[in-house]
This record gives sequence, structure tokens and C-alpha cells, in this order.
Amino acid sequence: MVRSRRTVLDDVSFRVPRGSLTGMLGPSGCGKTTLMRAIVGVQRLARGRVSVLGLAAGSAPLRHRLGYVTQAPSVYGDLTVRQNLRYFADVLGAPRCDVERVITQVGLDDHADVLTARLSGGQRSRASLATALLGRPELLVLDEPTVGLDPVLRRDLWDLFARMAASGVTLLVSSHVMDEARRCERLLLLREGRLIADDTPGELLAATGTSDVEQAFLRIVEQGAS
Amino acid sequence: MSALLASTRAELLRLRRWPALWVLLGVWITLNLTFVYGFNYIAYRTGDASAVTEGVPPQALLADMLPTAVPQSVIQGMPMFGGAILMILGALSAGSGYGWGTWKTVLTQGPGRVAAFGGTLAALALVVIGVVLATAAIDLGVSSVLAVVESQPLEMPPLGELAEAVGAGLLVLGMWTAAGVLIGVLTKSPALAVGLGLVWALVVENLLRGVSDLLGGMATVSDHLPGTAAGSLVGALGARGEAEGDGTPGVLTVLDGGTATWLLAAYLVAFAVVGLMLVRRRDLA
Repeated sequence: MVRSRRTVLDDVSFRVPRGSLTGMLGPSGCGKTTLMRAIVGVQRLARGRVSVLGLAAGSAPLRHRLGYVTQAPSVYGDLTVRQNLRYFADVLGAPRCDVERVITQVGLDDHADVLTARLSGGQRSRASLATALLGRPELLVLDEPTVGLDPVLRRDLWDLFARMAASGVTLLVSSHVMDEARRCERLLLLREGRLIADDTPGELLAATGTSDVEQAFLRIVEQGAS
Repeated sequence: MSALLASTRAELLRLRRWPALWVLLGVWITLNLTFVYGFNYIAYRTGDASAVTEGVPPQALLADMLPTAVPQSVIQGMPMFGGAILMILGALSAGSGYGWGTWKTVLTQGPGRVAAFGGTLAALALVVIGVVLATAAIDLGVSSVLAVVESQPLEMPPLGELAEAVGAGLLVLGMWTAAGVLIGVLTKSPALAVGLGLVWALVVENLLRGVSDLLGGMATVSDHLPGTAAGSLVGALGARGEAEGDGTPGVLTVLDGGTATWLLAAYLVAFAVVGLMLVRRRDLA
């Protein structure tokens, strides 16, 4: 994949099992966002193929089957949280009753009628996350959804992701915080546009003989260099 | 079709809840009432020769404020002031989707780019219809009250003239709104879109008309600009123009009514189609 005439991702191949919680980890600039854009179908490919839920990425029938949250919150600052979600529910064809459900899921009940421009960065991110939870998406692609959140909220969101995966939703969650890897069922480690590991956390640690994912990441990089 | 309706419904919800919409509409109605009735009525009652009404006899001032003059008064401010306000609305509406990043979500998960953008255009079209009808209703109401207060016969304007004025208003404000949307899509920024749009509508067109006599061929260009077409259509329906001294800025007599109508319709369609093509083809980043 090429962006601004620069090869961002090269020779990347993997499968994400349905109903799994997969973490995509790697340092900033490693290509996580570009890969996610390719999966949701807004990134042109120089070569190769991306298949999502059995269909070509970006094809029209997939639109209502996936949810995508970008790194920067994408909600109208001059509308309240509830108004934003009503708007997106209408656009996405989700039932209006979903609005209250997702507000509770992201813990914004006390801020539902506050203009999103007046929310903190973390609260705005959660409002943005709530838009992706509207309807019943089969695949959730979340680009760094826990950045800037306090530890309690991060834990609650990861618990929510785990429950969703248990109910059959496929989640692909990116993060540059290696510590979050232990909450995932599978891990994709990216570095400089290449996929350097695709495994479960346990198998990754066993294969590298390390005790945490950050050490495992470093070990793989060192092995690749030697 | 259901996708387009869903998008339209969503955009209408957003616009209804959007403070900017009500501020802009309030400004337009206030300007319309102030310049059509406020200053003229004060000048009529006091006999003052203000800058706005200079040289106009009191009886002519009163005639311009009665219900029979509504077909002209309702549209006279639209080529310049109303158009600029609605262009701001269009630019903010399209540009804010980029500014807040919401187009990314809508165009990724929503009903498709054509339906999503079509919903925005349809919702804005409904706003334009509402603005024109509300302006006509308010002007009819105010002029009727003035007629009663001034003991004038309460004579309504011919329905055909009123319908023509409403149609012209829809075309003029619709064209400027579509222009605003296109600039919003082009710039991907509400602030830049509003700034550029206003500079074009209020400055560049006037400058081009000013230099059209100096440069060969420039007159042909300036005679067919969006603002010229809007001003000419309103001028063709009887509103007093800039050339008459006491007329409304923006009202012109450069083109005949038919040519101005077709040109406005062409601009409206072209702005909407180019905007749609850009939304369809461009990267969402």
C-alpha cells in the first residue's frame, strides 16, 4: 500500500478469525492506520487483495456490517452526544433505541446532553466510539480507541470489547501501548510497514522466551536484524 | 431511495439542532425586515432623507411596503445578502463534516457516498424552500399590518407574481447554497470555505464587473457570473437595481429574465454535480 508516494505497507498477509478480539500493535507510523483504512475499504491498494467477511473490502454490502472509529474523534462538536448519536443512527439505519444503549456502553450517561466540543478528549473519543457501536456491526475496526483514557475507563472498554467478541463480533483494535496486548486473543505486530508477528499472546511469549509483549516485540526485531 | 431518505432525515435532524442554522436564518430575516420595512417606514413617518431612501418620495416609500410590492421586496435582498448568508450555510454544512471528521464515518459506514451527499443537498434544499416561504409569509404579514396601520387598502399581490418571486427566490438562494456546498467540499474546511465564498460573492464578482469595460471579452464573462445571473433575475421581476441609485445592491438588469433563469439553473446543477463527483472520488483522509 502506498500513501503520498511512500510505501507504507509491504507484503502483509493475515487472517482474523470471526468473533475474535485481535490487537494490532506497533509504534506510531508503522502502518496500523493505513492497514485499517484498507480493511474498511477507503485505501487504494497498489497490489494485493483485502477480503472482509467474505467480500471485497469497501464493497457496498459491507457498509452496514462494519463499524470504524478513526484516531481523531469524528463527532459534531456543536451537537450534544445524544444528538450526534441520533444523527448517526439515522444515517447508518440503526434503530433510535440503540442511542441510549451505546451511551451507556461507553459510559457517557452523565454527559449525553453536553455539547461534544465541551467534553474532554477522552470523552469525545468515547462519543466517537459510540457511533461505531450503533446497529449490530459484525466487524469493529477501532483505531487507538483507548488513547487518553484513564485506566479505569480503558479497563471497562476492553471488557466491553471482550464481551462483544464473545457475542460473535469481530474486533480489530489498534494500539501503540504494548501493555494492552494481554487483553487480546490474537496479536498482529507491525513494524516499518511489515507484519513481524501474528500469534496469540501466549504463543508469542513462549516463542520469544519473554514475559511481556514489549520484550517479545524487541526480541523479534533483534532476531530480524541479526 | 430509502438510503437517500435516511440521509436526508439525518441531515435535517442535524440542521434543526444546529445553532448556526438558526443564527443565519435570524440574520437574514432581520436584514430583510430592517432594509425592506424598518428604515423605509422610519423615513416615511419622519420624512427623513436617509442614505437608504434618499430621493424617494414618501408615497413611493409607502407603496414599496404594501402587500402588492411583496413579490419584489421578498427577493430584492436575495442576490447579495440572502445569497451570501445561504452560501455560508452551505459552506458550513459541507465543510464542517470535514472539519469534525464526521464525513469519514458517514461515507465509510453510511448508505454510500451518492446517497449521503444527496441527503445533505436534499436537506439544504428543504431549508431553502422553508427560508423563501417564511420570508414571503413574514413580508406579507408585516406589509398587511402596515397597510392597516396606514389606512391603505389591503390589496394582495397577484398570485402569479408571488409564485414567480418564490420561484426566483428558490433559484437564487438554491444556487448560492449549492455554491457554498461546493466550496466546502473543495476546501474541506468550514472557515476557509466561508471566507472564500464571501470574498467571491461580495468582492470578486463586483471587481470583475468593474473592470469588464477595460478588458476586451471580460464583459462577456462578468455578464454570466453567478451573482450577475442572480441579480438579473431579481431585476427582471421588478426589483429596483443598483443602477437606479436608490435600488438594492446586487440587483442588476444585465441579463433578461429567461437567460438569467437558465443560467442560474445551470450553475445550481453544475455546483451540485461537481460537488458530488469530488465527494465520490476523493480520499477520505
